[in-house]
Amino acid sequence: MPPKPRTSEAVTKPPTILASSIVIAETAALTGTFPIKIGANTVIHPRAKLTSAHGPITIGEYCIICERTQISPPDAEGLVIGDGTVVEVNALVEGSVGAGSVVEVGNCKLGPLTKVLEGEVIEDNTVIFGSGQRRIDASGTMDARRRLLERHIESLRILIPSNPSKFMN
Amino acid sequence: MPPKQTKGEYIETDTGNKVSRKSVILGSQNIILGGKTVIQADCTIRGDLRRTVAPGQHSGNVAIAVGRYCFLSRSSVLRPPGRTHQKTFSYYPMKIGDHVFVGEGSVVEAALIGSYVHIAKDCVIGKFAIIKDCVRIEEGTVIAPNTVIPSFSLVSGRPGVVIDELPETAQEGLELKNIYRMI
Repeated sequence: MPPKPRTSEAVTKPPTILASSIVIAETAALTGTFPIKIGANTVIHPRAKLTSAHGPITIGEYCIICERTQISPPDAEGLVIGDGTVVEVNALVEGSVGAGSVVEVGNCKLGPLTKVLEGEVIEDNTVIFGSGQRRIDASGTMDARRRLLERHIESLRILIPSNPSKFMN
Repeated sequence: MPPKQTKGEYIETDTGNKVSRKSVILGSQNIILGGKTVIQADCTIRGDLRRTVAPGQHSGNVAIAVGRYCFLSRSSVLRPPGRTHQKTFSYYPMKIGDHVFVGEGSVVEAALIGSYVHIAKDCVIGKFAIIKDCVRIEEGTVIAPNTVIPSFSLVSGRPGVVIDELPETAQEGLELKNIYRMI
């Protein structure tokens, strides 16, 4: 197979604002021209793609961005991923609310292979599962889940070799 | 001057594994391939997510064990499952048997997959799922975390449920020796 031609866009290094306590793998890809801001205690897995070619990206505290995810804001308004969000493997995020493939601040949960359409607003505590069914999670376990997430991040801190200096500028 | 010899797409190991140069294998020291396994381009294997134990404790350092004649298609992901147990989060080893096919773009976070399992493309196998021998999983199936799929099942849907039984002769149809020879 012939190698794919490299787009000029992929080479540009975006301005980054990284908190000191983040864990970011060396093979994560931060590209684009708009600023990328990453909050404290966030973990970026290897091969996650953050593309700020069309707008700025802001990621909150205590987030996990897994491998093979693509985060790319569609316009100059940019994209915000709230605190405590887990974006699971293979997720594609273009929306602004931090709709990943798992939990976000507003405490939503999107199941695997579910889709949220353009311009849709998902209320807090919504669970989207199966083939588009929705329900409101009234269990009130948000704090407990947040604690589990913090432990998860602690263990990833040991496992993933971090190299934030590569992305600093 | 003769043209520069182009490198083949696959690297073949001593035990007959064919690993694509374009695959993403992290933490290869924690991965065991049984032999004659094919790993295609863009396939991601997270061997770096191994068990975390308190320092001083002995830990088995195998994160992913794959049997013989397995076939991991393009863009598939193998990733050990993790959970919090007794206040510490840890990843747990993932074991895959022989003759297991993983389709394009499927994400596998199962704890155990038996032998002769066919996972079609764009499936998601949830964390700590257990899939026994001779199972066929249809395209686009999402298997919920902690699910146990019995032997000789045909699984489909979101969430994936057993919709039919496979005949006792299913094993022959699920052998992957021929695909291995084709690569």
